[in-house]
Amino acid sequence: MTRRPTRLALLLALGACTEQATAPGVCPDYCPGGQITVVDTIFTDMIERDSAYSGYAEAHRGVGLAVSDVPGMVDSRAVMLLNGGVPPRLTNRPSPDTTTVPITVDSARLRINIVRRDTASKNLWIKFYRLPLGLDSTTTFAQLVPAFTDSIVDSVNVSALLASAKIFDTVTLRIWGDTIRTDSAGHVLLVGRSDSTLLLYTRLDTTQARFVATDSGRVAFGVRVSADTLASVALGSNEGGRSATLTWFYTFPDTNAVPVPASAQRGPSFDTFVFTPPTPPVDSTLSVGGAPAARSLLRFAIPPILRDSADVVRATLILVPVGPVPGAAGDSFTVAAEPVVTDLGPKSPLSTNSAFFGTKTIHLNTADTIRMELTDLIRGWALDTTAATAVMLLQTAEGSTYHQIRFYSTRTPAFRPTLHITYVRRYAFGAP
Amino acid sequence: MIRASLSLAAVAALALAASTPARAQDSQFGIRGLGTPGRWESVRARATGGAFAPFDPFSPLLEASIADVRRVTAGVTGGTSWRTVDFGNQTSSLRAARFPAFVIAGPVSSHLVLAGGFSTYLDKSFGVTTRDTIDVRGTPEPVSDEVSADGAVTDLRLALAARIHKNLALGFALHGMTGSTRVTAIRRFDDSTTYRTSTARDEVAYHGLGGSASALFDLNADLRLAAWARSDTHLRADIRGRTVADDDLPFSFGGGVRWRPGTEAVVAGAVAWRYWAGAGPNAHDTFNWSVGTELGSLASPFRFGVRGGQLAFGPGPKAPTEFGISAGLGRQFSGGRGRLDFGLERLERKGGTGVTERVWTFLLGLTVRP
Repeated sequence: MTRRPTRLALLLALGACTEQATAPGVCPDYCPGGQITVVDTIFTDMIERDSAYSGYAEAHRGVGLAVSDVPGMVDSRAVMLLNGGVPPRLTNRPSPDTTTVPITVDSARLRINIVRRDTASKNLWIKFYRLPLGLDSTTTFAQLVPAFTDSIVDSVNVSALLASAKIFDTVTLRIWGDTIRTDSAGHVLLVGRSDSTLLLYTRLDTTQARFVATDSGRVAFGVRVSADTLASVALGSNEGGRSATLTWFYTFPDTNAVPVPASAQRGPSFDTFVFTPPTPPVDSTLSVGGAPAARSLLRFAIPPILRDSADVVRATLILVPVGPVPGAAGDSFTVAAEPVVTDLGPKSPLSTNSAFFGTKTIHLNTADTIRMELTDLIRGWALDTTAATAVMLLQTAEGSTYHQIRFYSTRTPAFRPTLHITYVRRYAFGAP
Repeated sequence: MIRASLSLAAVAALALAASTPARAQDSQFGIRGLGTPGRWESVRARATGGAFAPFDPFSPLLEASIADVRRVTAGVTGGTSWRTVDFGNQTSSLRAARFPAFVIAGPVSSHLVLAGGFSTYLDKSFGVTTRDTIDVRGTPEPVSDEVSADGAVTDLRLALAARIHKNLALGFALHGMTGSTRVTAIRRFDDSTTYRTSTARDEVAYHGLGGSASALFDLNADLRLAAWARSDTHLRADIRGRTVADDDLPFSFGGGVRWRPGTEAVVAGAVAWRYWAGAGPNAHDTFNWSVGTELGSLASPFRFGVRGGQLAFGPGPKAPTEFGISAGLGRQFSGGRGRLDFGLERLERKGGTGVTERVWTFLLGLTVRP
């Protein structure tokens, strides 16, 4: 007699553990009186102070070398000083015999890495120049003009190479996916499958690559581009791990005076790019990018409403460029907004939390207003009252390009930086 | 037999413990008001449609009835309900577990009986989801909103009753209304890449006071009359120490009659008026009635009842109506020291806007006299 109610009670106990209390609402009669309200506002004075600073990454610190020729806008050339250390004499007998024999250089092979190019470029030529050895970070475009005028050592039509027939080994193609193209002058273009880079090899004879024994084989080269359209590429740099290399091919006699072939590969001790016109000094605008790179610091004053009575669902930083960034059509670069850990002006340490970064790709030759999403950052600031409320605007891959954009600052009220914020008002809990 | 009874009591205790206090809105009609008023009825009273509540000492409706409790006794009520809401063009199914009443009473002198306990005063748990498309930055953005509350206002009662004459018992009680709800409002954008989800959470605390008085009068050995009146002041809603709402609570009164036509048959009827209309724009004064009977021996009675009346909250000028039938069983165990009551209730509520709500509720009550 007791068993049935016991089971029933057990059933109730199990049933009581689950609950479904949420149902589609039929509003307004069967919904709560409060409403979730979205407000969309442009805060014109939320960015209260700003500053621009220059002198961050210089051209020789970048991960790429900008090479372009856009008449009337910019002319940029890569330069590289390749290491020496190739001994003019070497031993060819067992120790302790220290007798040395001279080496005879017969040729060299220069390899450059084209890390970025415009695939729409027509008749793209890469030209190599022999440069003086005294290259350093103070070398200017003007100082190298003579060498770039009369010291051409080779030129390669990259467009023609790309259009030529592929040469590949079926095994390497299957495994690596690499193919090569060559021309009658012995230039080799290696096209990788895993990325979009091109490896260009050019063979230089002893008149093109002069082995000077007193310099231990140190040589300097410059690279220019030309094209019917869109003459703009980026070469890999020493800092980016994709630098140019030069391989010397030489022989030395063995004990029977028979020439023994050998080679020595050298990378650059220094590489950079020089360009004209140079990056102008910072002024009252907000400069970002260029070489040496400029950054701009924006300081925000978070209004109390965002901390107390609102939940930010979208925040967009609006920046008005002073003018278009000149350069090859179709070219672009990226500007990032990274929060500072503490506001120390130009030396403010940047946060490493990339979740709070904002980025925007800047297309050249247009002056469109820039809108950069900073939602997560502004939401974080609204919650964390101890955070430094400032961001640094900087170029990604600083020092790799001459492109610099300038935005109007707070000193120009009509075009000052603003923040477009969409937020949800605090819900009116408690009232029926 | 004793072992079986203990097993039964243990399972019942487990069932009641699994029920969480006042977790779900009893009615969709209460969302736009202060909530859904609780039923101050034990399972025994609920199974008779509420008609026995004025005469049942373990229904926290009327204090005078505890005057006849001669030993310390505790009663607890729990239940699970399955609810279907039909809005005309859409239907929702909801499920909730509740623990709406607890009463403990015992004599403090030869004439005075003291009782305490709690019951659900206003159930404020609900969850509502809606879909909409709003214009943000000049672009239509589909959104989903979810507003939910979880909690209740509990009526803490301290009651004193005395049988001042063999035919007359009087009772008085002080009521402290207290409780809280955890409230959440969430807006989700379909375009979650551009727009983040907005979530607002808070806790609303409620406070109020009330007092009540009641009397039981025996016309003869088989006929008993009951009358009660209760006045509650205001219900204050505070969020983090700041008062966000202050609503009037009703004055209520009612009565009942119980007739014992035979040794194993009892019939009762009850009425109640509650003046909720001052509690907001969607509040209405209510009148409720109930009739019920208890048949069989005291050890294992069968109960049946019907009820009807109005709901305190609902849209429109007219109060939503309610009609219900209920039935139940009771079983004593351990020589009358404990009793289990089972009940099943079917309710149908109708609102002026074409909304119909149907509820099945399974009830379980345990009364223990150590």
